Order: sequence, then structure tokens, then C-alpha cells
Amino acid sequence: MDKISQSVVKKDHATKISGRSVYVADYPSEGVLCGKLLHAKVARARVVRVEVPELPEGYFYVDAKDVPGDNNVNIVLDDTPVYCRDTVEYIGEPIAMLCGPDEAEVERLRDACRVVYEELEPVLDLRAATETFFDYHYGHGDVDGAFAEADAIYDEEFETGYQEQAYLETQGMMAEPEESGRMFVHGSSQCAYYIHGAVARALGCGPSGVHILQDVTGGGFGGKEAFPSILGCQVAVAARKCGRPVRCVFDRREDMEYTSKRHPSLCRYKVAVKDGRVTAMDIDVVFNAGAYSTLSAVVLQRGIIAAPGVYDVPNLRVHGCARKTNTSPCGAYRGFGAPQTFFAVEMMMDHIARDLGVDSLAFKQAHLVKQGDSTSTCGRYHFPVPLPAMIEEVETACSYREKRAAYAKPQTGRYRRGIGMSLYFHGAGFTGSGERDLIKAVAKLRKYRDGTVEVLASNGDIGQGVRTTFPKIVAHELNLPLDKVFYDHPDTARVPDSGPTVASRSLMIVGELLRRAAIHLREVWVDGEEQEVEERYKEPDFMIPFDITKFDGDAYPTYAWAVNAIELEIDTLTGTSKVLGAYGSFDVGTPVDYNIVLGQMEGGFLQGIGYASIEKMDCDDKGRIRNNSFSDYLIPTTKDVPNLRCMLHVEKYPDGPYGAKGAGELPLVGAPAAYLEAVEQALGGSSLHHAPFTAEDTLAVIAKEGV
Amino acid sequence: MVNGYVAASLSEALEIRAAHDVVPYAGGTDLMVENRPNVTYLFLNKVPELKRITVDDEFIRIGAGVTFTEALASPDVPPLMKEAVSRIAAPAIRNAGTFGGNLGNGSAKADSVLIEFVADAKLRLVSKGCERVVDVDKFYLGRKKLDLRSDELIAEILLPKQGLEQYSYEKVGGRNALAISRVSFAGVFGLEDGRITNVAAAFGAVADTVLRYKDLEATLLGKTVEEAKALKADYLRAYAERMTLTRGRVSAEYRKNVCMNLLDAFLTKFGIG
Repeated sequence: MDKISQSVVKKDHATKISGRSVYVADYPSEGVLCGKLLHAKVARARVVRVEVPELPEGYFYVDAKDVPGDNNVNIVLDDTPVYCRDTVEYIGEPIAMLCGPDEAEVERLRDACRVVYEELEPVLDLRAATETFFDYHYGHGDVDGAFAEADAIYDEEFETGYQEQAYLETQGMMAEPEESGRMFVHGSSQCAYYIHGAVARALGCGPSGVHILQDVTGGGFGGKEAFPSILGCQVAVAARKCGRPVRCVFDRREDMEYTSKRHPSLCRYKVAVKDGRVTAMDIDVVFNAGAYSTLSAVVLQRGIIAAPGVYDVPNLRVHGCARKTNTSPCGAYRGFGAPQTFFAVEMMMDHIARDLGVDSLAFKQAHLVKQGDSTSTCGRYHFPVPLPAMIEEVETACSYREKRAAYAKPQTGRYRRGIGMSLYFHGAGFTGSGERDLIKAVAKLRKYRDGTVEVLASNGDIGQGVRTTFPKIVAHELNLPLDKVFYDHPDTARVPDSGPTVASRSLMIVGELLRRAAIHLREVWVDGEEQEVEERYKEPDFMIPFDITKFDGDAYPTYAWAVNAIELEIDTLTGTSKVLGAYGSFDVGTPVDYNIVLGQMEGGFLQGIGYASIEKMDCDDKGRIRNNSFSDYLIPTTKDVPNLRCMLHVEKYPDGPYGAKGAGELPLVGAPAAYLEAVEQALGGSSLHHAPFTAEDTLAVIAKEGV
Repeated sequence: MVNGYVAASLSEALEIRAAHDVVPYAGGTDLMVENRPNVTYLFLNKVPELKRITVDDEFIRIGAGVTFTEALASPDVPPLMKEAVSRIAAPAIRNAGTFGGNLGNGSAKADSVLIEFVADAKLRLVSKGCERVVDVDKFYLGRKKLDLRSDELIAEILLPKQGLEQYSYEKVGGRNALAISRVSFAGVFGLEDGRITNVAAAFGAVADTVLRYKDLEATLLGKTVEEAKALKADYLRAYAERMTLTRGRVSAEYRKNVCMNLLDAFLTKFGIG
């Protein structure tokens, strides 16, 4: 193991484990007004008027009329309002905020508000949705020719549902007007500079009129990428009107129902096969964006780029669109569009193999991409593709092929077993040329007179450990003890914009900037002096420029790779499944801290198994999400997958720090396909097409098809 | 601010219970979450008389303040009850949660209550200067409806000493820990001289109270296993017709299928295939 990989105690371990960390809800309440949002109760309506009860002194009603700047929150497009316009587009849309010193009184006043709606017909069903936010096409080769010459054509549709991030800390932001007139906004978040831009615009005050601090954050998983920009604008507008600090912390039901979740999807795959090989794929991907576009453009881009999976598909046509429905806007969640398409393509390959009467893994292996091959967007796999070796690592861990063959034989008795395997990647960093053209990351190191060094960057620790790994890199290069290098939660008043905490980019991109900065600082180091060095992002020379209008070029500089196998046992009386083992080989390059990376892999893999199996959430016929509590929306516990084995395969990336590449999202992406393949086998060779696949679904198959 | 009385003995607890409007509080695993405003609690976790497990000629007597962890450690608690209790929530909840609380909460999803139903357990209810013993199915009247007077406390659960040896127990939750039952099933079987002496079946989490149909059980009582086999189809059909499940997030149709599968498997396990 490289020295940099050796595990250390996380910098925030002691404060978190002892309960001393201060989250946004923990700041003293004295002088702070409590804000509660008045949420829309119907999925689509014109708001005729709001009858606000008489407000006691010191209580305020804040809505769109109070927005001093622009009532549109800047995310990708600007269609999300700070407070609703004249219509509401989903149940939960914020109409106004009630603010005041006493929480119970604020709640009472909020509940006493009477909203008069003129109801409009909502669109709740993705299949019936016609309004398209984003529509992309790309491809290469002669798809129609390949279909015309095919021996067989397969046409299947796959469906995935919502997934809730279920971070431990709910959304919460606080805004404090400063004496200088500047607005200070802080809270639970991933992307301080996204909030900075959004709040400055809502307040109409220019970038110097605000600053944003990331407070200690109890998990994000993508859910705190865009949403805190919206909530940040809402509390900032409220604080401006009230002239007092305002804090709004969501309760769990509010958070689960009204904040962004993973996009439900419908993926239709048409595949041409000739001489036992896939010759073409014609893929149609539809994501349910919800009521506003938020991050759907970029989520959809990542999803469709991954649509042909890890396979060399000579003729490819991909169409993707994100449609509007009158439901909570969907957003970022670990994997960012790719879990949906990887599920579909892995199941599709498995189904074709079964129909051809060949082993699913052998069929997949025969189509694997390798170094030098073209990517789906005619970029290049510039570095080795380690999947064959990783398949064998998983094989060694769980005897996959032997079990796969054994469970394929007819089974009897109450319990039936199956095993499945998925192969996949996660494109490391922003899609396309975002790093070069949009983010343009800057990171700094500041050395103090006493020889301690501070990391100045805008990436937030959300549990993934950047407060530890960034200093680790810097300490390594400066040959300093780790306690001499520190990284606080970013405040945009004092750190440069090193970009958002998203896309598995922080360590690979910003970590490398910090490594180079540390080398620079080492070269200019003068004892006893305060010194500062700065590094700026530069795109690696090997990149084939990406054209987002054509989906052409290198969508990612490199890829993290993974192989997952899941073995399970179905109870034919209850439909429940018991995961006997979940085995994953993950290549995230060099782990900059072994324990941190392994924690990420185990947590993400388990989260993926939840997505595949028990994490079911949907809307009722009114557009309400009813699974809005931890007793109605279950996530797996350690007891659900006691035998979870994660292994690291290291294929170093030369442009990442010490060979590290993107890690955070990878472990979630492939679990649904491995899980469903195992369920299919346990059910005696059923063909399944949706995730999550619950106990209820299993029993329905048994009732219909028998076992 | 939490208001309440801490009782050090059962007599003190009953005095307080009679004199004030209080909510009995044992482990607090539900009440803490509910966090009701303006409630006065009667804290019972230091009442020694409620913390005992004893055995007499007829019954295993489990004090209402006995925690699930304590029951699991007791040699006197029968395996069927232990199996059900071992699946409740997670260790921290089992360390605090009590038998009395599980009953007092009035839910048909209570895992220990299911066993009390199938075992024909009795409850000893006490009030100042008075006590009565009631059958558990007479005590549980409906969702959150108990035959418990405002001056009474649940003192003990009386489980029959004999007859719980041959059983089936199944809990179907949404996951393997910290899961509220979606369906729970307990069946107890007895055979003497070739005749069925007991064929109790109870279902939890499917209706307002635990479901048990003694009249349907009676159709198999006194029969030989061979005779029961011939009656099995009618018996299952009668259950299927009778059982009306409450609606929930998980469909009633699914849960009913599970109930019928488990009932069938219970009979099969004891030879009635």
C-alpha cells in the first residue's frame, strides 16, 4: 500500500463522535427567527390569493413580492422560483415563509394561512408527460443498417423509481444580515459557490454583498447540491425583510416529500444481434424531471452517455429526454443519472444472453471495451480497462461462476437462491468540458508564520472526508505532520472557487491542484513568513475536446470501474430476500485514505442495494408522496447485508493525485442490476424490468408464473 | 420540559395513577418519539414489582416492566416468545422496551402481543386496592383501544407454562432490523393420543388487533392428522374469506397472500400437508 493510502483518524472524528460539532440547527436560537415554509397542497394550480392571519408583532410573512432581486434561482436554467410565481407546479412548492421568534407560533400562523387555489389539471404520469425540458440525440455508425441485417432484435423497457438521499441531517439554512449590509448565509450544503451566486442574484446585490459558509453537514449524497441554493435564497430574502437572522430547518417529512430525489426513469432498449454479437443499440431514455428543471440537464447527460454500458457497440443511437411532471423536482443523487441506464443495459445484456442460451457473464465479457477503444461519444478509453482482472477478483471472493451454474438448475423448497453480476464504470469528474469551461477551479494554500498550512478551497466535507484527505495530500508533499495542515469548512468570503462538491471530482481535481500547490509551496518555503500559493485547473493534454451539442469527444478524462456480484435467497412464502453476500471490486485509482475509501465503497454499495430492493417511493393519484418517514421509506441496515465485501483494485490515473480518481459515486451505480439478476435466477429464470424490486413484486411473480 | 412522577414501588405508582391524569411510561421507546405536548408521565422503570419474571404451577409470569433484553436472558421465558422478541427493532430498543409498553401502545403490530394472543395469555391488571385478570384478547379491543381503566396499570403477563413447545413463528418486516412488522404470524400446535389438541394461529399487523379465529381452529380440534388433511382446504378457504386486511403502504393483497402462505406452511410443518 502506498504511504498516502495509509489510514489516519479523520480530522472531524473527535468533534463528531463526541457530539460537539455544530450543525445549522445547533446555533443558539437567541435573536434568530424561525422560518417555516408554507407549501402548496395541490399539484398544479393558480394561486388566487393567500389569506394570511393577523401577525403578532415580530412575526413576518415573506413571499415573492419581498424578493429584492431576481425571483429565479440560478441552477442550470433559471426556471425554479425562490417563492412561487402565480402558479404552483407541485405539492410542496414554497409559497411563502412565516418567520418569528417562537417556533410553535410560527407553525400555528403558517397552518392558519388559507391559500385559495384555482386548480389546474396536473401531469403526474411520466408516460403521459409531453412537456420536455431537455432533449438530446447522439450516436454513431449505421444503426438502421445493423438492424436490417440482424439475426435477432430485442426490444425491452426498463423502469426505475425515486430514491431518497436519506442523509442523516435534513436540509437547513440560516441567513444573517451583517452590519456592513452584507448577507451571511450558512447551512447544510455541498456547493458554497452555487449558493453564493444564487443568493447574490435573489438579493440583487452583486457577489460582494453576500458570503456563504458551509456548516458541518450531515450527509449530502447529491441532495445538497442544488437544493440549498433554493433554501438559501428563501432564508436570505426573509432575513432581508425581517432585518434579523432567519433559520429554516426542514423536518423529516418535509425533507422527504419536497426536496430533490433521484429521477425515476423509463429506458427502452432495442438491440440488434448478429452472429451472437451485439451490432447495434437504439436507446430511448426518459427521465422524470419533476416540476422544474433544476439539475436534470446534467443528470440526463451523464445518464445517456453511460447508456451502452461498458460494451463496445459499433452502431449506436441514443435519445434522451427529461420531461416535466407536477411532482417534486428531481435532482442530484450519487450516480447522477448513470444508475438508471446501467441498470437497463446490464439487464438487457443478461436477457439477450439468456435468450441466446449463453452464459451472461461470458456474453458481457465478449463485448467489453478495452484501452484505446472509442467511448459512446467517440472519445477514447485512454487508460487500461481493468474489468477482466476485477471480474476474477470477485470470482475468487464468491465462486461466482460455480454458483451461477448451480443456481441455474431447478430448485425446490421454500428458499431459492440466485447470484448476479454487474460490470460498470463511473466517469470521473464533470461531464464534458465543464471543468475547463465552467468551473475553472482555483485552490490555494496559505502558510502562516508558525509553519501551519491552511487549505483554501470551496469543497465541503459531507462525510466523504475532504477535510482529512486534502490536508493529507498537502502534508505529504510538504513533509509535515498532518496536524500542521488544516482545512476548515469553506466560507466564500475567504476561499477561492475550487468548484462544487459533486461528480466525484473533489479529490481527483482539487486534490491534484493542492498537490501541485504544495510542491510549489515547498519550493518557495521561507521559515517564519506568511506565504500563499495558488493553482488553477488545466485540462489534461490527452483530452479529445467534448462538444456538448453533438455529444462528441471525451466526456470524462478517465473512469472508475467496478464489478459487483450479489448472492441472495428468496423466501417463496413471503417474497422477502436475504442477501447472502455482496461482493464488489472497485477501481478508484489510488485510495488517498484506505479506510475512507472503503467506507465510501461499503456505504455506496449498500445504498445501491437499497435502491434495488426496498427503497420504494411513489406518488399517489394527487401527486403526493406518502412514503415520507423513515418508517414508511426503509433504507437498509448493516443487518440486511452482513456479508458485504468490498475490494479495491488500483489502476492509477496519472493526472489524479498519486493516481487517485473519482470515488464517491461509483459504488452505488451497479447494485440494482446485480441484485435483479440474482432475483431472476432465484425465480427460475424470470425476466424482470424494474427496480426497486420489492418482496411484493417477488410474490406477484410467484403468483403469476409459479416457481 | 418533561413533567412526571417517578414511582419507587407499585403501591406508590398506583396512588399516583389514581390521583392524577398520567401516561404510564415504561421504556419510553414510543413515547419519546411521540413527544406529546402537555402530558404528565408516570415513570415506571424503577418499580421493582414490575421487573420480575416468576413461574408458578400454571404460568410464566412476566412483569410489565421487564425489558425484551431481560426476557431474552431469562431461562423461564419460552422459546416462542424469545424468538418474537429477538426480532424487535434493534438492541438499544430491546434494552429499553418492555412487555407492558408493547401492550399499552395498543398496536396490532406489537411483536410480543402476537405471542400472547396465540398462547391464550392472561394479563393481571392492578389498581389501588384492586386487581383483575383478563384474557389478552378481551383486553385488546381495537387500534389504540384497551380495556384499561385510568387508574389501572398492567402488572404482569401470564403465559401458560405448557403447550408452547411446538410452534411456527414468522415476522415479515421491510428489512432485517429496526423494522415494524408488515405481517407477523405465530402458530402453536399440540397433538395427544393422535388427536389435535391445539392448532392456534394468530396474525399480527394485518388488522386493528391481532387476528385469531378460534371457531376455525375448532374445525380441526380433536381430529387426527389424516382427518385434518382432508379438512385443510376448507379450513384455508374459510380463513381466506374471513380475513379482511387493513390498507397500508404495502398492499393488502400482498400481505394476505403472505398470511395464507404462512398458515398453510404451519399446518404442513406439523404433518397436515
